[in-house]
Amino acid sequence: MKFKTKLYMSVGSLLLFIFIIAVVLLNMLEQTTVKMNEVVNDLNERIEMATVMKYETTRIGFELVFMVTNSEEMVHLKAKQDWEESQIKLYEAMESLEKKDTEERAQELLARFKTLYQNYQDIGQQALTAKRLNHKTEFSASFWADAEITRQRMLQIADLLSVLEEQKLKSELFRTKETYNLAVTMIYIYLAIALFIGVGFTFWIIRSMTNNLNKVTTVMKQATASNFEEMPRIELSAKGELGEITVAFNKMAEALEKHSLREKELKEDAKAQSWLNEKIAEIATIYPEVESVPELADLFITKLVPMAGASCGIFYLKEFVNGEYYFKKLSSYAVLNDSDTDIGYRFGESLIGQCALEKRLIILNDVPDHYLKIGSGMGESPAKNIIIIPVIFEDEVLAVIEIASFETYHPLQIKLFEAAVNNIGIKINSILSHVKLEKLLLESQTMTEELQAQSEELQLQQEELRTTNEKLEEQYEALKHKNEEIEKVRGALEEKAQQLEVSSQYKSEFLANMSHELRTPLNSLLILAKILSDNGDGNLTPKQEEYIRTIYSSGNDLLYLINDVLDLAKVESGTLDINTKEVELYEVLEFIDRQFSPLAEQKQIEFAIEMDPGLPANFETDDQRLQQILKNLLSNAFKFTETGSVTLKVQLMMQEMQVKENTRLQQMLAFSVIDTGIGIDEDQHEVIFNAFQQADGTTSREYGGTGLGLSISREIAHLLDGFIEVSSMKGKGSTFTLYLPYVQPGYKMRDQAAYEEAAISLYENHGDTNEDPIKQRTKSNLKNKKILIVDDDIRNVYALTVALEMYEMEIIVAENGREGLMVLEDNPDTDLILMDIMMPEMDGFEAMRQIRSLTKFKTIPIIALTAKAMRRSREECLEAGATDYISKPINVEQLLSLMQVWLYRKES
Amino acid sequence: MIIEKGANNYTLAQLEEIERIEIDLLLEAIYRLYGYDFRKYAFPFVKRRISHRVYKEQLTSISALQEKVLRDSEALMRLLSDFSINVTEMFRDPSFFKSIRTKVIPIINDYPEIRIWHVGCASGEEVYSMAILLQEEGLYNKCRIFATDMNKEILEKAKQATFPLDVMQLYTKNYLEAGGKRSFSEYYKAVDDKVVFHSFLQKNVVFAQHDVVTDQSFNEFDIIICRNVFIYFNKDLQNQVHKLLYDSLSLSGFIGLGQREGVRFTSYGNCYKEFEPSEKLYQKIK
Ligand SMILES: Nc1ncnc2c1ncn2[C@@H]1O[C@H](COP(=O)(O)OP(=O)(O)OP(=O)(O)O)[C@@H](O)[C@H]1O
Ligand SMILES: C[S@@+](CC[C@H](N)C(=O)[O-])C[C@H]1O[C@@H](n2cnc3c(N)ncnc32)[C@H](O)[C@@H]1O
Ligand SMILES: [Mg+2]
Repeated sequence: MKFKTKLYMSVGSLLLFIFIIAVVLLNMLEQTTVKMNEVVNDLNERIEMATVMKYETTRIGFELVFMVTNSEEMVHLKAKQDWEESQIKLYEAMESLEKKDTEERAQELLARFKTLYQNYQDIGQQALTAKRLNHKTEFSASFWADAEITRQRMLQIADLLSVLEEQKLKSELFRTKETYNLAVTMIYIYLAIALFIGVGFTFWIIRSMTNNLNKVTTVMKQATASNFEEMPRIELSAKGELGEITVAFNKMAEALEKHSLREKELKEDAKAQSWLNEKIAEIATIYPEVESVPELADLFITKLVPMAGASCGIFYLKEFVNGEYYFKKLSSYAVLNDSDTDIGYRFGESLIGQCALEKRLIILNDVPDHYLKIGSGMGESPAKNIIIIPVIFEDEVLAVIEIASFETYHPLQIKLFEAAVNNIGIKINSILSHVKLEKLLLESQTMTEELQAQSEELQLQQEELRTTNEKLEEQYEALKHKNEEIEKVRGALEEKAQQLEVSSQYKSEFLANMSHELRTPLNSLLILAKILSDNGDGNLTPKQEEYIRTIYSSGNDLLYLINDVLDLAKVESGTLDINTKEVELYEVLEFIDRQFSPLAEQKQIEFAIEMDPGLPANFETDDQRLQQILKNLLSNAFKFTETGSVTLKVQLMMQEMQVKENTRLQQMLAFSVIDTGIGIDEDQHEVIFNAFQQADGTTSREYGGTGLGLSISREIAHLLDGFIEVSSMKGKGSTFTLYLPYVQPGYKMRDQAAYEEAAISLYENHGDTNEDPIKQRTKSNLKNKKILIVDDDIRNVYALTVALEMYEMEIIVAENGREGLMVLEDNPDTDLILMDIMMPEMDGFEAMRQIRSLTKFKTIPIIALTAKAMRRSREECLEAGATDYISKPINVEQLLSLMQVWLYRKES
Repeated sequence: MIIEKGANNYTLAQLEEIERIEIDLLLEAIYRLYGYDFRKYAFPFVKRRISHRVYKEQLTSISALQEKVLRDSEALMRLLSDFSINVTEMFRDPSFFKSIRTKVIPIINDYPEIRIWHVGCASGEEVYSMAILLQEEGLYNKCRIFATDMNKEILEKAKQATFPLDVMQLYTKNYLEAGGKRSFSEYYKAVDDKVVFHSFLQKNVVFAQHDVVTDQSFNEFDIIICRNVFIYFNKDLQNQVHKLLYDSLSLSGFIGLGQREGVRFTSYGNCYKEFEPSEKLYQKIK
C-alpha cells in the first residue's frame, strides 16, 4: 500500500471515527434532551390538568351551593354560568388527560372520575330542575351529603391522578439521568477505542516505512562504497513512493554505470590525445629556431620517425624547376641507398606525386618483401607498411612525407602523422613567406636607398643647373651693365675731356704753386698792399688806390684759395684738426649774419636767418669748421643768385645717420641754405661735390671760383659726423642742407638722445658686422617692398617705420588686427606683414587666422612680433598662421635679415 | 650611353659587361693610386656619376676617364666631388630633430660631456641645426661636435656657415617644425643674397676630413648622426661602415640614420633597438 494512502487512511479513519463518535453522541444527547423535554412537558401538562381537575372539583362544590341556594335570579344565573363553565373546564381537563395518559392506572382512575363527574352533574341538574320547578331552595341534607360525597371522591381521584403524574415525572427525570450517564460512559469507551486504533495505525505505518527505507538506505550505502561501474540494485519490494525511489535509484545506478563506462573511454581517448599533443608539442619545439625549410625538414623527419615508432622516412619538398613543380627529396631518415640525384616526382608521378595530387594520405600495408628494406650495419629486413602523407597548407600541397615501418600503423600513429604534418605545413608556409618577405623587404630597402640617392643626385643636378643658369644670367646682366657703363663712361669721358682742359689747368697751376713758400710772399704782399692802401702819406692818386685795393683783394682771394687747397689736402691726408667745444648757436648765426648782411645789401638780395622754435642754445661742435661750411654754402648761394633771396634756416630734426658701422636715428641740427638762384641740374648733384668741379664749364667764366668750396665743406661735415644734402633744379634755386648731430653740451654722443629709449632698443648693435650699409641698402631685396605694420604701440610703429623706410620700403600701418585686415584688403600688393600679438579690438592671433582664411593671403609672409618670455604664444602664432616670429625688443638687424629671407623671391 | 657601338656588334648585355669592367677598373685605379675607395659604393650610383663625369669632361668612354683621372689629379678632384652628393638641409626631416629634442635630450641631459659625430656632414647644415638645438636645450656648452666628411671642399664651405638666401624660408619652416624654441632669425644675419650664421654656433664644432670607408674610428661618441650616406653604399660596404660606427658608439648611445635607411638588414641589426622607429633613431643595446 502507498505511503500516502497509508497516511491518509490512518489519519482519515481516526478522524472518521472521531466524527462518527461525535455524531452518535451528539445525536444521543439530543435525543435524550428532546425526549426528556417532551416527557417533562407532557408530564407537566398532565400534572397541570390533574391540578385543574382538583381545582374545578373544589369549585363546583361552591358553585352548586350558590346555584341551588341562591334564589335571586341574577345571582343564580351567574352561579349557574360559573357552574357550567367549571363543568366544561373539568370535562376538558379530564378529556385531555385521558388522551394523554394512556396508562392503565390513569385510565382507570379517569374512568372512575368520569362516572363521578356524571353523577355530580346529574345531581346538579336535578337540583336545578327541582329549583326551577318548585322554586324550592331548600334541599335535604342528604342531598348535600350525597353531593359532597361524590365531590369528595372526585377530589380524591383528582389527587391520585396528580400524585400519579408527579410520580411519573420523577421517574422520568431519573431515567433521563441514567441515559446521560450512559452517554458519558460511551464517550470514554469510544475515545479509548479511537486512541487505540490511531496508535495502532501509526505504528503500523512507521514500521512499514522504516523497514523499506532501511532496505533502500542499505543498498544505497553499498552504492557509495562500490565503484560506479557495478552498482547494486534494490529489490523491488515496495510499491508507492519507495517503490518509485527504488526504481529511480536503479535507473540512476544504470545511468551511472553507463556514464562511468563512457568516462573511462574518454579518459583513454584523452590519454591518447595528450600523448598526441605531447608529441606534437615536442615536434613543435623544433620550430622556433628554424629559419630555413631544409633545416626544418631535417629536424622534423628525424624527430617524427622514431617518435611514431617507425623506422625510416623521407621528406619531399615541392620545388619549382623549369616551369614545373617537383617533389624533391629534401631530407631523409635511416633510408638505405640514400642518394639525392633524382630530380623528384611531378604531380601524379609515383605514389608521392599521387598523394600530392589527391591531397590525401596513402597507406600501404603488407607491401611485398622486396619493396623496401630497412637496415642497419648488422642486417636488413623488409618493411611491411608504408604511409605517404601530404603536407597541406590552405589547400595547397607544400611537401610530401613518406614513412616506412615494420608494424602496421596504429590509428593513433596516423593521427600523429596527420597532426604533425598539419603543423609543419603552417610552419613551412610561414618560413617560405617570411623568406619571401625578407627578400622583398631587402629589395625594397635597397630600392628606397637607391631612390633617395637618385633624388639627391637629381637635386644636386638641379642645383647645379640653377647655379649655371644664374651664372649665365649674371654674366649676361653684367655684360649688359658693362656695356651701359662703357657707354656712360664714354659720354662722361668726352665731357671730362672738355672739362679737363679747364679744371686741369687750374689744378695743375694751383697744385704747382701751392706751397708753403707761396703763402709767405703772398702774406707780405698783402701786408704791403694793406699798408699802401691805407695811404698814410696820402700821396697816391685815387686810381693808384684803386689798383692797390685790387691787389689786396686779389691777393686775399689767392690766399683763400691756397688755404682751401691746403684744407682739402689736409682733409684728404687726414691731418685736419677738429676742436669740438661747446658752441652757442646764436653766436655762430650772428657771425654769419654779420658776414653776409652787407653782401646781401650790396647785391640787393633778401637775406634772412630763420630759426625753428625749440632749438637748443648750445651744442657741441667745432665752431670754426661750422662757420667755414656755412660760409661756403652761403657764398655759393649769393654767388649764384642774382635776384630774390637767400635764407639760412636752422632746424632740429630726427635723421638717420651713420655712426661707425651702425645706422642710427639721431637728433640733428639742419642748416639749410635756400636760394632762388640759377639752380643745378639733377645729374650734377653729385659732381659738384668733387674737388675742382663746377656745375658746368661756363660757371667759372661767369662766376669765377675754383670748385673747391663744396668738396671741402663735405669733407669737413663728415669730420663733424654730419653730412650735406642738396636739392635743386635748374633755374629753380637750390637748397644745401648741412646736417650735424645734435650733441648736448657735456654729453658723449653715444649715450645721448632720450629718444633712443623710446626706440625700444631698435638699434641695438650686434657687433659683428662691418658691412657698408649704403652698399647693403642698394643691394638688398628690401627696396620698394610694401610692408604692413600692425601694432598698437605708436613708438614701436614709428621706430619700425623710420628704420624700414631707410631701406626704401613702403610702410603702411594699422593699429589693430581689424584695421590691419582692412588695410590689407586695400593693399593686396602688400609683400610682408609685421604683426604684433597683443592688441586691442582684435589681437594678432585672430588677425592672422582671418588673413589666412582669405585665399589671396594664404602665402603672404606674416612675421609675428612676440614677447620674449612667451614660448607658448609662439606655437600659437604658428598655428594661427604666422610664417616666422621675432621677439621683442626687436633687433633691427635681425629683423632686416629675417625680412630679407621672407622677401626673397626666386626670379623665375 | 657612354659606350658607343663600335665596329663590333655587341649585344646590350655585352656592352653592360664592358661598362662594368671599365667601372671596376677605374675605381680600382683610383683606389690604388689615390687611396679613395669607391669600389663598394652602390653600383648604379657610381655608374651614373661616372657617366656624368665622362659627359662633363667631354670624353667618350670610361676608359678615357680613367686615363685622365690617373694623370690629372684635378680631374680626379672633380670626379671625387661628383661622388660626394652634398644635398642637405637645415633641420632636414624636422621630425627627426624633434625626436632628438624631445626623446634623446632628456636622456643625455645629465651627461657631463656629450660627444656627437656627424658623419658626412656635407655643407654643415645638419651640424648647425644640431648646434642650435643643443643651444636651445642648454646643452651646447658641454657638447663636442665632430663634423666630418670626405669632401674637403664641402667642409670649407661648411666652416663658412654661409647659406643662400633662397633656402632660408625652407630652413625656417623646418626649424619651426622641429620644435624651435626661439626665433630662427636670432641665429643668422643677411648679407647680400646670403645669410651668415653667427659664429657662436661653431664654438664647439670641429670640422675634419674623414672617410668612413678608409679611415678608422677616432673617438667614442654618445650620438652619431650619419644620414643619407649609406644610401650610396652597397650592402657590403654598409655592413663595413656600420661596424665602424658601432665601434665608435658608446653603449646606449644613439645613432641617427636617414629617412630611407635602417639597420635592419645589416649585420648590426640586433645590436640596436629601435628608439624612435619612425625616425630611424636607434640606441645601441649591446
Ligand atoms: N647755390 C648754388 N646755386 C647754383 N649753383 C651752385 C650753388 N652752389 C654751388 N653751385 C655749383 O656748384 C659748383 C661748385 O661749387 P663750389 O663752391 O665747390 O665751387 P665754386 O663756388 O665754383 O668755387 P669756390 O671754390 O670759390 O667755392 C659751382 O661752381 C656751381 O656751379
Ligand atoms: C647627401 S649628403 C648628407 C648630408 C647630411 N648628412 C644630410 O643628411 O643632410 C652625403 C654626404 O656624405 C659624404 N660622404 C659620402 N661618402 C663618404 C665617405 N666615404 N666618408 C665620409 N663622407 C662621405 C658626402 O661627401 C656627402 O657630403
Ligand atoms: Mg663756392
